[in-house]
Amino acid sequence: MIEVEHLSKTYGSTTAIQDITFGAQPGEILGFLGPNGAGKTTTMRILAGYLPASEGTARVAGYDVHTDSMAVRQRIGYLPESPPLYPDMTVQGFLNFVAKIKGVPADLRQKRADIAMDHCGLTDKRKVLIRKLSKGYRQRVGIAQAIIHDPPVIILDEPTVGLDPRQINEVRQLIKGLAGSHTIILSTHILPEVSMTCDRVTIINRGQVVATDTPDNLTTRLSGEAAYELEIKGDVDRAQRLLSELSPVRQVTLLGLEHLPDYHHRLRVSAEADRALGAVMSAALINAGLELHELRRQQATLEDVFLNLTTTEPATGATAPPEALAELPTVEPTPEEFET
Amino acid sequence: MTLLFKNILAIYQRELQSYFASPLPYIIAAVFWLLGGFFLVAILLGPQGILAQAAMADQAVQMGMPPSPPFDVAYEFNKAYVGLLGSLSMFVLPMLSMGLYADERKQGTLELLATSPVTNWAVALGKLLAVVSFYLAMVLPLMVCQSIALGAAEPPTGSGVFLLSHLGLVLLAASVLALGMFISSLTESTVLAAIMTFALILLLWLVDAVAQGLPGVVGSAIAHLSLLKHFTDFTEGIFDTGGLVLFLSFIGLGLYLTAQSIETLRFQRS
Repeated sequence: MIEVEHLSKTYGSTTAIQDITFGAQPGEILGFLGPNGAGKTTTMRILAGYLPASEGTARVAGYDVHTDSMAVRQRIGYLPESPPLYPDMTVQGFLNFVAKIKGVPADLRQKRADIAMDHCGLTDKRKVLIRKLSKGYRQRVGIAQAIIHDPPVIILDEPTVGLDPRQINEVRQLIKGLAGSHTIILSTHILPEVSMTCDRVTIINRGQVVATDTPDNLTTRLSGEAAYELEIKGDVDRAQRLLSELSPVRQVTLLGLEHLPDYHHRLRVSAEADRALGAVMSAALINAGLELHELRRQQATLEDVFLNLTTTEPATGATAPPEALAELPTVEPTPEEFET
Repeated sequence: MTLLFKNILAIYQRELQSYFASPLPYIIAAVFWLLGGFFLVAILLGPQGILAQAAMADQAVQMGMPPSPPFDVAYEFNKAYVGLLGSLSMFVLPMLSMGLYADERKQGTLELLATSPVTNWAVALGKLLAVVSFYLAMVLPLMVCQSIALGAAEPPTGSGVFLLSHLGLVLLAASVLALGMFISSLTESTVLAAIMTFALILLLWLVDAVAQGLPGVVGSAIAHLSLLKHFTDFTEGIFDTGGLVLFLSFIGLGLYLTAQSIETLRFQRS
């Protein structure tokens, strides 16, 4: 459905993306992952036909985005980096306008607008001026305009930016719900996001594809090491001893005591990746009569990953071999959190 | 074809709607009407006005002076007033055209338009039609006031010159708006677009002044290309196809440049 081959884009002397190749099957959700400035937005814009590529081809639904621009435009819904909204229009008025220019027949427009607003949780804001909406709602209107004409291909550039956690969850559910009948490509710099929503992930850094795989495979590759942070009350030396005796644990360090109530201590545990470790640690501490106030698996964002990647291997420059990812700390989608 | 028409209509409607949503167009229209109304009274009834001049000419004849050339009050009034509306419009038009594309660029909505199945031509044409419609809505009330004054003329005047002069006014405005729209498509700043459009209008005046000042072939060649010269012809009731073609060419040029500018924007955007 989406085929990108050897795509490059240069602005003057700067190279935004270089020789990118990837694809998406019909009905698939493809995550496009990379740190800020990796070339995600550029690639999205080329796919949407907004920017011409310097080299290479991009095809959407079998049509070349540059030479068959109109055919592609009819088949895509596109949410740019900043949602394209007219502040002086109401949500309904704006969606109606978008439906018109996207070529939705007049008798279907109202229905499609209702469906899009329903999907994006905008029904009770339909008469509100976009100018008066919060950032999260504007983002939702942006998503609504991308799906209003029920396009076979949906291109979403950072769809969850600016949303609160509950809205992020809703948007992810919405995207998942659209899969199957739609091919979706979404860009993000948050790894859990792709793990939760995408069927396949393409990671780019500095304009080049670093890896393409399923989220599960990537997670296993990335989760060589896990880090936890604990807050306990009681004999901290005993706690450290107990934790060190657990087999996957490599190191236990005592963190500073600032802002903690009396007899509370913070510990950082680094260990081999082991999904059951959280349960084992909490059981060990509680059986020993210590109070466990917090246990949290540290989440690394992709930016941390790339920061690591680029600082540890400056010599290799832009090309980071996929194997390097294996040395990085754990990145886990689901945080385990116990609070008493 | 019907699809193209629908797209133009959609752009047109959205654009018109935006005039009602923002306070700026109301303010522009209010100031235009206030000044237009003031000058209507001043030109007709003021101490130096057309009626005062006619009365003086009459008096001169009664006092036995040699009669001055015949003086058609209704014609002179129409010519002076529409000419004035043209000058007044020159200050208003940059404010109408400045936001046409600059706002779209600033809000990022150009990205929506450029990735929708709408051609740049359709967008530009829809926008131009909308802004010209708004200008018409600004001129119409003043036309009504003027036609009331003309209706009192004795002997009654035909409506030909009156309508022709206003056709010239709207054509002039549409030409300037089309060029202003192109300028607006070059920048993200509405203020810059307004200033540059005004500079263009000054240039048009300059061309007109040069055309009048230069003798011979060069002067008349420039005069043929002067928008304001042809506008003056229209206000004097002279209709020539050359003028009409020139206005339409400028409108077409503005549309063409706008569509091209949006197209190239996509090639050089960083």
